[in-house]
Amino acid sequence: MSEYSKSARGSFTSTGAAKIINLPFQPNLIKLTNYTALATPANHGVPYASWDIAMGQGFAALTLFNATPAMTGGVITSNGFSTFSAGLALQYGAKQQIIGATAANPIVFNVTAHGYSVGDVVMFQGLYQTATTGMPQLSGIPFVISAVGDADHFSVVWPGGGSNYTALSGSPVGAFVKKVLYPFLYAPGVSFIEAITTGTTTTVVTTDPHNLSVGSEVAFRIPKSWGTIELNSLPNVAIPGSPIYGYVVSVTNSTTVVVNINSTGYTAFTTNQTVASVPGLSFPQMLAVGDVNTGGLAISAGSPLYPSPLVNGVSTINGPAINGAFVNNTSQGFIIGLGSAVSDASSHLVGANADVLYWEAYLTDM
Amino acid sequence: MSITTTSGLGPMILQSLAPAMLYVPTPTMNYITICDKVSMPANGGTTCRFMRPRALTPPTIQLGNSGIDPAAQVPQRDIIDAQMAFFGTGCIINEQVILQDQEGVLAWVSQRLAVAMRQAEDLILRDYILSAASEINAAGGSNGDNPTNLGVSDFSLVAATLDTNNAYKFMSGIEGMDRFGTGPVRSSYFMLSSTELQPDFDALTGSGFLSQWQYPANTSALPSEYGNVFNIRILTSSEAPVARGVSANSRDVYYNTVVGKQAVTHINQDGFSMNLIYRDPYYSGMLAQNATLAVKFAQAQAITQDTAIRNLLCTRAGN
Repeated sequence: MSEYSKSARGSFTSTGAAKIINLPFQPNLIKLTNYTALATPANHGVPYASWDIAMGQGFAALTLFNATPAMTGGVITSNGFSTFSAGLALQYGAKQQIIGATAANPIVFNVTAHGYSVGDVVMFQGLYQTATTGMPQLSGIPFVISAVGDADHFSVVWPGGGSNYTALSGSPVGAFVKKVLYPFLYAPGVSFIEAITTGTTTTVVTTDPHNLSVGSEVAFRIPKSWGTIELNSLPNVAIPGSPIYGYVVSVTNSTTVVVNINSTGYTAFTTNQTVASVPGLSFPQMLAVGDVNTGGLAISAGSPLYPSPLVNGVSTINGPAINGAFVNNTSQGFIIGLGSAVSDASSHLVGANADVLYWEAYLTDM
Repeated sequence: MSITTTSGLGPMILQSLAPAMLYVPTPTMNYITICDKVSMPANGGTTCRFMRPRALTPPTIQLGNSGIDPAAQVPQRDIIDAQMAFFGTGCIINEQVILQDQEGVLAWVSQRLAVAMRQAEDLILRDYILSAASEINAAGGSNGDNPTNLGVSDFSLVAATLDTNNAYKFMSGIEGMDRFGTGPVRSSYFMLSSTELQPDFDALTGSGFLSQWQYPANTSALPSEYGNVFNIRILTSSEAPVARGVSANSRDVYYNTVVGKQAVTHINQDGFSMNLIYRDPYYSGMLAQNATLAVKFAQAQAITQDTAIRNLLCTRAGN
């Protein structure tokens, strides 16, 4: 170990989903121990795994239990260990052809071996079935994946059953989907609106996580064709020139908030935009413009005294901040993927739900 | 007769270092230019808080003759918080490099670190603006995409939007002069755009675009200023954000940030905006072999007038 090498260690309880480990560096050597798999040896268990940068991104070398159960060797060639550097926006995953999509809510997309997980953010392009049909109205809006049906199907929430939407089939030319690699580098920010329920308070559903908290102040930008223009921060009839803002009074979930604006009698919100209107179509947006909070994130059992702000439900690497403040969420580190051994498709690098795993990560000088 | 050539008697040392370093391609850094600058004090906590009073309702109802005062108003204010973040990078340089290399390694590495830091500052602002400012898709072009390429109506629409929002323009106008090929320039907002869009701006010549070289006097023009359309002066940079191949028809999407004054604020903490740190090899291990050169800075940013900023998204006429 030379003078400037870096090392880190930690543990976590698996949820069965890929695990992101934030570090002050990108490791070139990773070791993983699944304590639960060792404590109760069973077929498909992965007690040890390691990765060296020379293997390539997404690979891993591991030991796993066979049916006996006895330890044997194996490798992972995709969705193993990978490093990440989340420092610049507008980075996307590979473009994937869309085979088809249902005109319903949620919209179910058919993409061969999409590789996406619930919570991933994607963007669509094309989505024309013909020059005048399809669902190109969705192009350019970031969507969080709400469900994964199987390896070839995933869903996003949007009223695709509107009369101006038609299903896609037969792999339309130019219909693609891309994963947004680092969707929340700064938060809170702009969200695109999927639904608005008017009333004494206003409930807003966004297409991807809004990252707002109770006390966040928001503004709306709703183009006329989408309906509820009365929510727009300007113009203001009562005090000309003074922007109209609302405060978040309740966070229902990562994509739904309740705002304290009384929108009773406002024009109904509609997503039923025509295909002909797509060129130049601007989207309805809600954006964070401030907050009225005075303290940091509330502590909970086992949390640090001054927890870092959360973005998309995950702690940032920052120090304490006012809840709802604009925060930086750039980060680097590595990901323990969901990958399976080539020889055992039922094994998983990240273990099963509730498994306890210990990791070590190194960046060596030599 | 034997001729002595360099094949038989070549120079003992084959190369000499040219007297000047070559330039390093570096984008113009426009985002910091349009920011308000605020310094947070030392021992001031982690978060910078801005306060903006809200307008009071103008008393347009006459008092009448009752002698009774109208109801009092409760003043309100908006609060904007931004958390400070720290950044840094550096190089570890073995003393043998410093001892043996012919060029001044420490000097040019220091220079590169300083530029890297300033570029980071600008890129952070760029990406923050992408995440936090609302968007308008260009609709004035004719390429049939979403967004379309830029038409002059898009400039007009965005400027009208900011004017309607009572944003403050950055630049006062330039009066026309009796000089061939020039024209007056309106008071303007700034638009931060990609250099890749310059052909599309040129294509608007005659229908609204005025090159910087056609200003009656370009003393107020910034080095990266490409020209003007109506109430917008355009600054271009190769680092302006472009989302590759994500338009409805798979074109590249360009983010043109149109801003008025005080729309974005850059915050440092107690002058911690730039630290160049040199540590002599003496501070490394037992044999004192390695020097370190590093930069470190603290930065936060906030959209402080959301009504004075829009990202105008567009594609190009071609590609």
